[in-house]
Amino acid sequence: MEFGPGIWGPIAATVLMLLGAIIGYLVLIISRRYIVPKPSSEKLKTYACGEELKPEEAHFDSEHFYSAVRRVFKPFYKYVQPKHSGILSTYLLWVVIGFFIVLIAVTLSLR
Amino acid sequence: MIFPHAPILAIVIPLFAAFLIPIISIIAKRFGAERMRGGWSPPWGINLSINGLNLLIALIIASIGSLVAIYSVVSMERDNGLDKYYTLLLLVIVGCMGVALTGDIFNLYVFFEIMSISAYALVAFRRNWGSIEAGIKYLIIGSLGTAFILLGIALAYGLVGSLNIADLTGKITEIGATQPLPVIIPLMLTLFIAGFGIKIAMVPMHAWLPDAYQAAPSAISALLAGATTAIGLYAMLRISYMLFGAVAIGTMFIILGLITMVAGGLMALVQQDLKRLLAYSGISQMGYVLLGVGFATAAGIQGGLFHLLNNAIYKVLLFMCAGAIIYRVGTSNMDKLGGLGKNMPITATLFIIGGLAISGVPPFNGFASKWMIYVAGIEAGQAITYASTAIAVIMSALTLAYFLKAINLIFLGQRPMHLREVKEAPPLMLFPMLILAVLCVVLGILPGLGIDLVQPAQSALGVI
Repeated sequence: MEFGPGIWGPIAATVLMLLGAIIGYLVLIISRRYIVPKPSSEKLKTYACGEELKPEEAHFDSEHFYSAVRRVFKPFYKYVQPKHSGILSTYLLWVVIGFFIVLIAVTLSLR
Repeated sequence: MIFPHAPILAIVIPLFAAFLIPIISIIAKRFGAERMRGGWSPPWGINLSINGLNLLIALIIASIGSLVAIYSVVSMERDNGLDKYYTLLLLVIVGCMGVALTGDIFNLYVFFEIMSISAYALVAFRRNWGSIEAGIKYLIIGSLGTAFILLGIALAYGLVGSLNIADLTGKITEIGATQPLPVIIPLMLTLFIAGFGIKIAMVPMHAWLPDAYQAAPSAISALLAGATTAIGLYAMLRISYMLFGAVAIGTMFIILGLITMVAGGLMALVQQDLKRLLAYSGISQMGYVLLGVGFATAAGIQGGLFHLLNNAIYKVLLFMCAGAIIYRVGTSNMDKLGGLGKNMPITATLFIIGGLAISGVPPFNGFASKWMIYVAGIEAGQAITYASTAIAVIMSALTLAYFLKAINLIFLGQRPMHLREVKEAPPLMLFPMLILAVLCVVLGILPGLGIDLVQPAQSALGVI
């Protein structure tokens, strides 16, 4: 696939990516042979604000993912997300609003 | 076990037999055979109309229909009423095929209704509170959409007195050349775009979709995500581009595509339920397709249609993976999952392939089609196409972000005690997933195969 002066060769790129993965894996294996981690028992404990937790009980909640992105798009999550409430009349209102948006867009496009 | 699932033979055998049609066509052409019922020739008689575009769509539907039927054998084995299930599944496929292949706009509506009504029933198939509620919402909003389409057809018939799509195209093009344009034409186009827009869950008409996909059996979520959205987009493109021309309404599709892409992606980012995440990501991906076709260039439309094909492949794969997890664990709530990569390594690998493909990571198929859309956007050379391409790239990164979240929460990390005994999905569920994953890789490494499929489709839309 060509792109201006550039080009994307999928087969060559795939071979290079596979080679990179193999080299990375080899580096990992070799480094493990020379540097053996020796964590203390304290290091392996799950930190939960002083609370004792078994590793099986520690689970990262989906709520905590990408909180920074949520802050950036705060107005969207404040005003749009709550409208996905499951209430049919709200959904129908959205369809009506969508219809008028399309009507305006079509009228402007065909003018 | 096989006997209750015997109806899948009624799906699989005809669909595989469909591959014999090219041979029959060659023979028919050689002997000059033409089948005409009642002696009515088009535009008065109802006809089938085959071109590059609807062949592509028919191929998507036949392939997905076959794979979903195979997948259903195991995924639906704990359900009752399988005779009704397979009947409805067949009706969805019949409706999709009819919409794709008919040359008559009223027949298109009839087949669209067959597909839609069967889909409403399939969403409510499990008959629990959630599925019935989602089914009724889908029914009411979907019926509003099909009412829009019917009204648009009535206006078109009132304007030119024909229901044959080719005949309509010629007559409306003639009317479109006159100035001023009749007021009825923008209204007609709006009715079509809004009607089909509901089916493809174009924002802000998308809200029914996450509820429906979450409540439906996973095989049906896969079918709806792959086949019915493809059909909705096909019908929207066929009617709007063939009747009204691509250049005039391209910018509108770019704007609607951007809104759909961004809103779907941002909503997917905050989902706890895997099927809802997949539903919102599907909405976002339809935004890419709208963006590509909205560029109204040959490269853009090829990119958009290639993305439609790819989206059907990896979206079905991802919903099937979700179904495999639900089959083994009983939930798709990601906060209740974790560490399943150890128990379900094949499902995990297939999900990762699907997730990377939908995120546009090379060398998978999603990258190839997104790349084509980006290139088309830059080559179009307008401020709006530059800006929309930049937003599409950012949204692709966001897609990767929420799929990494899903991979982490489901397959990596600590495994809860109650998931220790979970087993890998049954082979008959893995088989269609494997085929789809192989397609993700093959169409990524050899994108020429996909481009060869979509080129005739782009030519059929009449955009150079």
